[in-house]
Amino acid sequence: MDKWQYLGLLGLCVTVTLPLEIIGGGRVYRRPKALLTTLAPVVVLFGGWDLLAVRHGEWQYSRRYTLGWWPLGLPVEEWLFFLVVPICAMLTYEVLARGRRRP
Amino acid sequence: MTGSYTIAAACAPVLVVLLEVTVLRTGVLRRGRFWLTTAITLGFQVPVDGWLSKLSAPIVSYQARASSGVRWPWDIPVEDFGFGLAMIAFTLMLWERARLDSRDPGGRYGQAAGD
Repeated sequence: MDKWQYLGLLGLCVTVTLPLEIIGGGRVYRRPKALLTTLAPVVVLFGGWDLLAVRHGEWQYSRRYTLGWWPLGLPVEEWLFFLVVPICAMLTYEVLARGRRRP
Repeated sequence: MTGSYTIAAACAPVLVVLLEVTVLRTGVLRRGRFWLTTAITLGFQVPVDGWLSKLSAPIVSYQARASSGVRWPWDIPVEDFGFGLAMIAFTLMLWERARLDSRDPGGRYGQAAGD
């Protein structure tokens, strides 16, 4: 079960914020084009920073708590992190806008 | 003490702000909603990053030489908040840019007057 820890944590982030899209009225998943144009530069820049830091030994990921698939040298969970966390932020931003627009 | 991560984490939010002011120009920095979202997201960074970086069973472990050694709250390297702040701010700027561009298919400023 240990190897599911990081993925499980990301799953929790998705689960906790999903209601913001479904009942909170945040439109993020439903705008795939805007989602893609936002996420692509985030993944490239911050994923790139992460890759460089790992190559330079600034930090490293546990093999015990990750599934074992390491595309480009980062655990797949870490790549997913750069999708999941920005989506959480976008959903928060959208829901706050809705709250404000209501009379 | 500072390391390469300390320097990068201090510079990244500044670079993101410069990017907003010079290139993206979305105006989000003047919006309360941008700052509130950033605060909420960084608030949630504490439990998530706290779990990832805990010294008792680390999912990510940091080289002592690369960072300041200041780890708070729990075992989170303070540098992680610079990384988080830059990433969240950059995300919201791009998201806002995408929204503005989708409302303005004829060009960045073409229909601004009619909006």
